[in-house]
Amino acid sequence: MADRDQLIAELSAIVGSAHVITDPTSLTVYECDGATQFKALPDVVVLPTTTQEVSAVVKLANRHNVPFIARGTGTGLSGGMLAVNGGIIIALNRMNRILDIDLANQRAVVEPGVVNLLLTQAVQDDGYYYAPDPSSQQACSIGGNIAENSGGPHTLKYGVTSNHVLGLEMVTTDGEIIEFGGSVEETPGYDIRGVIIGSEGTFGIITKAIVRLLRKPQGYQTLLGIFETIDEASNAVSSIISAGIIPAALEMMDGPVIKAVEEAFHWGFPLDAGAVLIVELDGITAGMQSQVEQITEIFNDHNCREIRYAKDDADRQKIWKSRKSAFGALGRLAPNYITQDGVVPRTQLPKVLRRIAEISEKYNIPIANVFHAGDGNIHPIVLFDERDPDQCERVDAVNTEILTVCAEVGGTITGEHGIGLEKMDYMPLIFSPEDLALMVDIKEIFNPSGLCNPGKIFPTAKSYAKLGLETPNHSLPGK
Amino acid sequence: MPISNPLRYDLNQIVGEAGVLPDDHLNRYQMDGFVPQAVVAPSSTHEIQDVLYYAAEQELSVIPAGNGTKLGIGNLPKKVDLVLSTSRLNQVLEYEPADLTLIVQSGMRLAALQAKLAEHRQYLPLDPPYGDQATIGGITATNSSGSSRLRYGSTRDFVLGMHAVQSSGVVVKSGGRTVKNVAGYDLNKLYIGSFGTLGIITEVAFKLQPLPEIERTVLLTCKEIGQVVNTALEIASSQLLPIFLNLFVNGVPFTEIAEPCLLIGLDGQPETVEWQIDQVGLAAKQNGAIGVGVYEATSQRDIRMSMRSFPEGGWASPIVMSKASLRVTDIEGFIHAALATGNDLRCLAQVMGLMGNGIVYVALSGFPNGDIPAESVAGALAKLREAATNVGGNFIVESAPVEVKRQIDVWGPVGRSFDLMKQIKAKLDPIGLLNPGRFVGGI
Ligand SMILES: Cc1cc2nc3c(=O)[nH]c(=O)nc-3n(C[C@H](O)[C@H](O)[C@H](O)COP(=O)(O)OP(=O)(O)OC[C@H]3O[C@@H](n4cnc5c(N)ncnc54)[C@H](O)[C@@H]3O)c2cc1C
Repeated sequence: MADRDQLIAELSAIVGSAHVITDPTSLTVYECDGATQFKALPDVVVLPTTTQEVSAVVKLANRHNVPFIARGTGTGLSGGMLAVNGGIIIALNRMNRILDIDLANQRAVVEPGVVNLLLTQAVQDDGYYYAPDPSSQQACSIGGNIAENSGGPHTLKYGVTSNHVLGLEMVTTDGEIIEFGGSVEETPGYDIRGVIIGSEGTFGIITKAIVRLLRKPQGYQTLLGIFETIDEASNAVSSIISAGIIPAALEMMDGPVIKAVEEAFHWGFPLDAGAVLIVELDGITAGMQSQVEQITEIFNDHNCREIRYAKDDADRQKIWKSRKSAFGALGRLAPNYITQDGVVPRTQLPKVLRRIAEISEKYNIPIANVFHAGDGNIHPIVLFDERDPDQCERVDAVNTEILTVCAEVGGTITGEHGIGLEKMDYMPLIFSPEDLALMVDIKEIFNPSGLCNPGKIFPTAKSYAKLGLETPNHSLPGK
Repeated sequence: MPISNPLRYDLNQIVGEAGVLPDDHLNRYQMDGFVPQAVVAPSSTHEIQDVLYYAAEQELSVIPAGNGTKLGIGNLPKKVDLVLSTSRLNQVLEYEPADLTLIVQSGMRLAALQAKLAEHRQYLPLDPPYGDQATIGGITATNSSGSSRLRYGSTRDFVLGMHAVQSSGVVVKSGGRTVKNVAGYDLNKLYIGSFGTLGIITEVAFKLQPLPEIERTVLLTCKEIGQVVNTALEIASSQLLPIFLNLFVNGVPFTEIAEPCLLIGLDGQPETVEWQIDQVGLAAKQNGAIGVGVYEATSQRDIRMSMRSFPEGGWASPIVMSKASLRVTDIEGFIHAALATGNDLRCLAQVMGLMGNGIVYVALSGFPNGDIPAESVAGALAKLREAATNVGGNFIVESAPVEVKRQIDVWGPVGRSFDLMKQIKAKLDPIGLLNPGRFVGGI
């Protein structure tokens, strides 16, 4: 960048030089998110504290014709916040105030940098919580959640981020400040708020959100079943859903994950188990026991080896900790791993998991599974060593095959992590050139200069080649 | 039969005679006094495309419609030429009960769909106005939802994916058919609630719910509106999980009760419902209710039905129907404003409030001698809108006589996002073929 110094000086004038990061070592913190296989160094990072500052930074970026990218806390798993063409990262960590809590109306107004779990912690003593609960909720920001339309274990019953956000304030790509939706349930006009949610930071910088708070359920019942095979566990998932039970959460871990978790944390899981299912019911306690009995019966019908029931809240926390610690434990299995993310119709789970095992064998790349089974949202964890180029190549083939299987059975290539950089190439598996052309059209309305988070989401000519498809002559952005 | 009308002749060529409604049916589809030149019901996506090409060529406007139950909503139309009805696209395309999802064509009626789903003890928990006649496409395009949105959410929360034909004839898919999906932009949200201005929705994928074991409705009556509101808000912020919490002032469907009332819907397993009924009883007593009754399964359907067609179903037919969206703590003040409007206009103002959601319907009827003072009504509606917008809410007029509509904007102001809305409309329907004039800001 020719006039980097000039840019830095102007940015410092907006946010103060203490909040402009320019030295190469500090910048490396911002070179990647949780998908560490992708790296790109921004030219500069700014940490604004107000919407006006964000707006001024965006206007400045436009004047200098420099890309700008929002960043929450960098826990994303698709490379969404990477400055692939360099430019300014607008880090929202300092915009982390909860501006208003209105329990009577079950609403909160937050800045985008508020860490997900902190919102729940702010209201839990009053008996409320914020429902979307990504497994990364101790670290990820609500702004990032909105950009990715994140889910979590309890999505099964409570829906994803989009179901819990009523209003947004966004700095548009030309620096204007506009509000969408509001503090009430319905606002006339097109649901632009709904389109912004999940747009992966390509429509502007979200600077404020009005979100729903929910009343904490009266009670929980959490049980954990240990199964001989992953097949039986996934059939149990289907049986629960078709018995008319919608648990609050229904999560699965397979043998390799159980083993890693056990070796790391000693929860007392048998090392030879094929799969563990965690089921949580919540709601009104009267009548819940009969559902526990029903699930017990279903588990037993599927040769469940052992069922553990959480006796109290400490027990329940322990079960969830074993689930949420899974990612941490996986580091033991291989130097590197990629958390894949696909969704399939629930009834296809057994078939798809079998196919994944075959793919793993075919390429000699180990795959572990820990995922949101009730939603059919799989997270095959592809284990490898990035120092070995041959493995890296095979990993790429594994990813392609897994996602192709998901698409083939009527599923999709991402349930919660987003497309970002990681999945651009696979978009043609599920969207036609016409579908993508419309998305490009919409993007051009919000982001006509293309400066806001460039190089994401849309497939390139190379993507089509990789999938062995003919490149369409439209639908590639920038054409 | 010789065909003298060239439009009819052309349309017959495109969709066949069975796809063109006889002319004596056209009045049913009139919108604010505009009678369409023809109503066509294509039987395939192909035919829809051909109708759109034809309309573009002939410069005819196209009004997408399901069964026509909500055609009255909107500003006065600019131009009503062809109504394009999806009624012949009425099949379930894919349904695997164990997946708890389905794909259905947009012209299927909700009632027919529910009957199919009930065979597997499942349902789509939407109960929009006129839910028995309304089609899936119409419900989706208007984002209409009913009482049960408190517990289960609105149409927006249930749509997983859809196919739509753009005015250019291009067929576009958005979303998918799995319960989670964040691939690409969530363009479903654009079509949901777009009132047919962005495309013809041809199929929709939904997530479903298991049918609850039992359903009960508790009716409680109080002397004062404030008591009903307090009871409702108390329940809304408790750990009870009502399906709906509907307040009624100046009449409750299916009863003769004149006092303010609260209807509380409860569903689930018998023990769960019983416990909640007891809790509701306690809340009612504490707030000074003068009557509490529990309705069982059979009357349940009637209750739901009559709420859907509020305030009809034995009530007056409304002259003006309006809907405010508010924070729940602002509802009570707004109800008093609505009642004052009735007084000012010397007509009957009836109110149904979805207390957990902050949605308040106000129906005006019974004007003296049947004369509708258009100017005063328009003025009163403007005042009501102010009452809603002053507290951060909004207010739309869902139906009103043409003379009243001439003097108001039924949607009210949209704010600074309007420019983006206009651009979206211009991108998706550049020639302004679809439903011109009816939506916000004359889109
Ligand atoms: C261990 C682990 C577990 C995870 N579990 C889950 C899970 O269960 N469910 C799930 O959905 N995800 C999960 N994730 C993924 C990740 O946590 C989510 O995608 C999260 O929402 C990202 O938030 P962030 O603040 O870290 O965003 P970042 O990574 O900083 O950014 C993500 C994207 O959002 C954009 N963005 C961020 N803030 C804004 C803003 N204010 N305005 C506009 N755009 C913005 C960025 O440009 C980028 O495109 C997990 C990640 C990890 C590491």
